[in-house]
Amino acid sequence: MATNILINGEAHVSTREPMTPLLDVLREELFLTGAKSVCREGICGACIVHLDGQPVVSCLVPVGTLEGREVRTVESLAAEGEPSPLQQVMEEHDVVQCGMCFPGILMTLTSFFRERPDAGRDEVKAALVGNICRCTGYERIVDAAIALAKRS
Amino acid sequence: MAIADPANVTMDLPRRDARDKLLGRTRYTVDQSLPRMLHAAVLRSEVASARIVRIDTSRATKMPGVRAIALAEDAPGMHGIGIADHPLFAYDVIRFHGEQIAAVAADTYEQAQAAVRAIEVELEPLDPVLTMAEALAPDARLVHPDWKSYEILFEGGARGGNVAWEATVVRGDTEKAFAREDVIVVESCFRVGRQNHVSLEPRAAVASYEDGRYHIETSTQAPWTVRNQTAKLLGVPPSQVRVTVPPVGGGFGQKFDCTLEPYAAILARKSGRPVRLVYSRQEEMLTCLCRENAEIKIRSAVTRDGEIVGREAVVLMDCGAYGGEQIFLTTMTAHTLMGNYRLGSVKLASRAIYTNTAPNGAFRACNGVYNTFALKRHTDEICEAVGMDPLEFRRRNVLGDGDLGATGQVFEGEVLGPMLDRMASLRDKSPSLEHRAGNRLYGRATVVGTWFIFVGPSTATINLNADGTATLVTAGVEIGQGTMVQAMPQIVAHELGLHPDDVIVRTADTDAAGLDLGVGGGRTTVSVGAASRAAAEEVRNKILKAASELLQVAPEKLVLRNRRVEIAGVEGSGMTIASVVQHAQRATGPVVGSGSFTNPGVASMPGCAAGHFIDALEIPVFSVHDCEVAVDPDTGHVEVLSYKVVQDVGRALNPRAIYGQIQGGVTQGLGYALHEELTIGENGCIRQSSLETYRVPLALDTVPVQIDLYEGAPSIGPLGTKGAGEVPILNVAAAVACAVANATGRRVQQTPLTPPRVLGLLLGREPAIELPHIADDWWENVLMKRPSIPVRRS
Amino acid sequence: MARSIDDAVAALADRADATALAGGTWIMRAPIRREPPIRFCVGLTRIPELNAVDISASEIRIGACVTHARLVSALAGVRGCEGLVTAAGSAANPAVRQMATIGGNLCASAFPASDLAPSLLSLDAEVELSGPGGDERLPVGRFLERRGSLEPGILLTAVVIPRRALKSGHARLPLRKAGDYPVAIVSMTAELRGDGAVEDIRVTVGSVEASPRRWTQLEQALLGRRLDPNGAYDLAQAEAHIFTGRDGVDAPGWYRVQVLPALARRAAQAVLAGP
Repeated sequence: MATNILINGEAHVSTREPMTPLLDVLREELFLTGAKSVCREGICGACIVHLDGQPVVSCLVPVGTLEGREVRTVESLAAEGEPSPLQQVMEEHDVVQCGMCFPGILMTLTSFFRERPDAGRDEVKAALVGNICRCTGYERIVDAAIALAKRS
Repeated sequence: MAIADPANVTMDLPRRDARDKLLGRTRYTVDQSLPRMLHAAVLRSEVASARIVRIDTSRATKMPGVRAIALAEDAPGMHGIGIADHPLFAYDVIRFHGEQIAAVAADTYEQAQAAVRAIEVELEPLDPVLTMAEALAPDARLVHPDWKSYEILFEGGARGGNVAWEATVVRGDTEKAFAREDVIVVESCFRVGRQNHVSLEPRAAVASYEDGRYHIETSTQAPWTVRNQTAKLLGVPPSQVRVTVPPVGGGFGQKFDCTLEPYAAILARKSGRPVRLVYSRQEEMLTCLCRENAEIKIRSAVTRDGEIVGREAVVLMDCGAYGGEQIFLTTMTAHTLMGNYRLGSVKLASRAIYTNTAPNGAFRACNGVYNTFALKRHTDEICEAVGMDPLEFRRRNVLGDGDLGATGQVFEGEVLGPMLDRMASLRDKSPSLEHRAGNRLYGRATVVGTWFIFVGPSTATINLNADGTATLVTAGVEIGQGTMVQAMPQIVAHELGLHPDDVIVRTADTDAAGLDLGVGGGRTTVSVGAASRAAAEEVRNKILKAASELLQVAPEKLVLRNRRVEIAGVEGSGMTIASVVQHAQRATGPVVGSGSFTNPGVASMPGCAAGHFIDALEIPVFSVHDCEVAVDPDTGHVEVLSYKVVQDVGRALNPRAIYGQIQGGVTQGLGYALHEELTIGENGCIRQSSLETYRVPLALDTVPVQIDLYEGAPSIGPLGTKGAGEVPILNVAAAVACAVANATGRRVQQTPLTPPRVLGLLLGREPAIELPHIADDWWENVLMKRPSIPVRRS
Repeated sequence: MARSIDDAVAALADRADATALAGGTWIMRAPIRREPPIRFCVGLTRIPELNAVDISASEIRIGACVTHARLVSALAGVRGCEGLVTAAGSAANPAVRQMATIGGNLCASAFPASDLAPSLLSLDAEVELSGPGGDERLPVGRFLERRGSLEPGILLTAVVIPRRALKSGHARLPLRKAGDYPVAIVSMTAELRGDGAVEDIRVTVGSVEASPRRWTQLEQALLGRRLDPNGAYDLAQAEAHIFTGRDGVDAPGWYRVQVLPALARRAAQAVLAGP
């Protein structure tokens, strides 16, 4: 069975089994390895992508349900290689450590700030409850995100 | 020669790897793929203890896509630390639930898994030994009946039966101290559970077999360990194994040992194709080489003025089915549980115990975290008994200049005392958040801790390029800590008058760089840094010599700065380093330098420590933490209201990077103190098999840590540095547990302080920890013999 | 992917091994629960009726494929639904709430820590089922009892909440601040008279036992009195013994029961805090 999906603006036809997680399609068919396979149970958030604009855990999305839908991954955030304001502020604040969680965190915060551009610290932290970071202890990521929210 | 001003080396250097990590472009080991690559899966035992009667792979071999199957016969060697007790595959006996029996490589991962399920294994079950109390019982079944036959890799530890290793310290006469009439004797028992690293990148490797050699690309902290251990297990010369390391997605100690690499290597050789092996999260949860569970009995003889005249302790560390890192870690108890304070006399037994459970390993500050927890809680119980303020007690007793450590090492410099003062002023600066506790119980604690820098061998080579840049080649690994992208370029650039951006850092490759002990124990900045600095010195001397001839100025009058060789004090004079290199390439050959480093060795008191891998700390590291908590009396939830850290960093080359390490380390410590717990079920299997039940801190579970970096303590590290990444987790469980005890008035003997456990304490339904399997007479706990001359009692 | 309810019912009735697939957050985790892989799924998320939320003067009708996130935005500010909005807005984590559906949540019979089930039970909600034999409407409590033994082809299509002059609150207890499944839940829906006395009340306990159930003893005790959080705590303490907490890896059974009075207080506070 073939599924037509728009991935980062490009048409893709997946022929994988319908119950294959979207995450595996992204990583194994398109080599879009930004989204990470970490827990495969929707808890860590490292595989978050946007499905029709909303953040979802791609490890739990069966590819067979995606006919005609639009997926965006972390690789699409930087228009023509130029980092997005969120990516820039994370770089400026030196908050990256091992980096495995950032693709998911960026996808969560990108859609969150679209809806809540002036969010406060507690709201940002609540928004990140589905993204595990084991290195940074979160607060400096939140500092950077708040700095961006204040700037805009 | 002009010595560059160390002040210039301090900067908030941005990480060069941050951009690609943010763009999702960084390719970790899990993201690697090669043409014709196969996928591997491992058959694991579903029982904790059994004899293997028969393994039949004939059905699996015929399954679709299967290319190779590896079994015990493919890996004749045994490995370990201290004792070679660990085979790659179980070959006659199953010793833990999850133990590897076979590995399969197939075209797809699903095919490999299907083939694994098709391997037939006939087992004869044995009664498992699941707890240390069971393992130490007089009639206990031995986890390793053949323990006497194992190769000993490090001499000195006592061993016997289910005691994999025993390290002891006997200094002074504790019997006499405890018999004194002017002392109060305080005894405490503690128990802690296991902690899983939950590195977001699981253990992963891609192996190939090329030109008769193995090439393993792997997510490791210690490429040389992987190289040497793989060779030992496979029974081939180490030179036949090459290990390279892409960016590592988190380690925290988990990847300090060789684990899954040999499976991939064997399968690559047998199939003739590259093989990818990545452990699933469930495999990571059930077999991760955790921070070990432990049991501690400690007692002290203390005078009314708070002088500790004698201290005895027994620490049982569960190494699981194989000795692993715990053998080494028995060493650290002397410096943590028996550290920090002046002790009149000491008896310590630190024992690694075999059980039929998944092997444990190294985790950031290792047993230091629970020994610090136990020591601080014990200290507070002492304070209660002698009626002294805990902060006052710490001030009076912390080790200072010239004081003796547990093994008789003489400490240098006043560090902990001034750090306590710095914490006092940090507390004064920010008001208490007690009002936020509302109707909940409020508590606070300030605790001290001692850890160390695990030094050991490192090498570095620097090639100076014709464009004026330098290429640094080491076996150091970037696991997220930033050392390889921040401190290393800073140290080299500082020595060579370059900008850190001019220093190219080669990723680790055992074919390119010499021996290195790996990233761990806070050693990278110190050991790889010292080797890199030595290499840079050699390069620097060559540049100065060449420039001296070209400029006709004595080398002593030249300095390297701003990418130039300048005449000292004359800005813009001289010539560019690039032009010197270009000249040298024609005249004397390319400019290259190399450097090495290893532990200098520090004296302890002869004869008082036995079975220790390190008798004394080469670079001690101190930290002081302060924590305020609110405890909900209805639910047992502990909320951390504030957290403060004063950390001894020697010199902070990159303060912002250290803040990141401290915030991250404290948060991981909060997980250990409050949420993260692995328990062993009746079948010997770890019960928390996923991140649903194993709860790491999420964004709402931490607080911004207030940080004061303490600089200037003595250190042999380059430019006065110490490692800063490991120690932030050290005191956290201690600080939280003492604060919770302070809030609740209950005797906190166990971590983590989950809501059910805290509510149980408040309701009096949490049973007291008593540890009857640790005898009150210290000598009855040890394999070493009681001295034949009876100790005279006064 | 079914295009209509009839299609879906036919497809489900056709194959005994067929499973209805909505948000996927439960079914896709079957391998982690070491369940056999699901061979055949009927995708429901493209069926328009299943994605609708209709709010009328007398009832609120929620299609089975409405996600937790959608439930929050559709019911925010709707009187009586405060507890349900809290339940839907705090379950699991934000990305999972974008995917997990109300129908899927009610049908996951092996999932004791559902936030929506106790909340809907306290709201006296009903569910609509479609099957080869026709449609059926039954109280959510009855459905929860029956859900493990439904005949093939029966599809939960909608949840219907009657609208009355109610206030509701949902108190859940995760072990961390958020992001966990709650170890215990008290969901409360009350109708209060002008003097603050309880005219009508339904209290439900979730996650403590295998399935949520009404706490009728506490309801009886609260009825007619002025709703007061501390009073609710005391009354709950006297009545908590009727529950037998389930022992789990996350929390022991006694703990789930022990915290119920505190949750009853919080639920009462939430009810009183409502508009």
